[in-house]
Amino acid sequence: MRTRLMHAFPETALERILDALEHELAGASDADVLEAADDLGMKPQMKGSAAFLGLRYPSAPHRAEDFFDAQWMLQVLNDPRRIWLASAALPQKPPLPAASRTAARARPARRKSPRPKEPREG
Amino acid sequence: MRPLTDTRVLRPTESALALKLVSEMDLLRLKAIARLHARGMPPDVGWEDLLQEALTRVLTGARRIPKGVAPVAFVAGVMRSLRSEHWRRFGAARRRKDAPGEYRAYRTRELALRDAAPGPERSLMAGEQLTAIERLFANDPVALAILDALGEGLAAGQIRARLALTGTEYDSARKRIRRCLLREGLTCAPD
Repeated sequence: MRTRLMHAFPETALERILDALEHELAGASDADVLEAADDLGMKPQMKGSAAFLGLRYPSAPHRAEDFFDAQWMLQVLNDPRRIWLASAALPQKPPLPAASRTAARARPARRKSPRPKEPREG
Repeated sequence: MRPLTDTRVLRPTESALALKLVSEMDLLRLKAIARLHARGMPPDVGWEDLLQEALTRVLTGARRIPKGVAPVAFVAGVMRSLRSEHWRRFGAARRRKDAPGEYRAYRTRELALRDAAPGPERSLMAGEQLTAIERLFANDPVALAILDALGEGLAAGQIRARLALTGTEYDSARKRIRRCLLREGLTCAPD
């Protein structure tokens, strides 16, 4: 009995194996699927089961690079006009409560450090 | 008119589930099949792409499920044809690239010589994937022998005769293969 999948034409052999195994999986019963999930410690009946990763939830978090061209993103990020527009669209800071405003007013002004005297000539 | 508040776009798998085209268990079967078919594709094509594309074609009506055909079997067939389509396009692109310059000026579909050979990169990829499948069944020599015979294109009866397996032994080995593939298919590990 051979224990290695050695073939003269690996692509043909792979195609045949994949097609045969596809039928095997398509005909798997619910019990088979649940048993396999149980082996992995997954519970498909539960909401948010890891078995549905990639089906109901993305298997990897999307990044901006998945949607936008890297060069275009660099242009956008480096364009000062766009940065200004983006910062103008930011929400305004909420007004401070009265108590903290008075506290802020009460804060003593920073004292200027005295300039060191320069020695006079002559 | 009520303002549109929920702007979340459903993925094709979610749409298929919402439309009751497939059940949750069917989705898990399709995930395992997609991960299997992705083995026959270049590394930049993931199983998710393959499954979402196949379901999109069904949902948009580009492919219609004939009456009496199970949705899982049909979507699996679409994935299989997507795989073939990919390699057909890949081969055509390679032929155009490899054609000599003078000839390229005249190139048309009719003139281009058809080279059915799969190309070294595809053979290499297929060899790697066969090794990966072999690793899955490294502890099961009977399953490995069955897969080897499947690769040669033998039918169930021929495989049983060649390996001298009884019906029960053959069915048992098939069940082990199925379970191992489902386990591999449900996992979230990279392909």
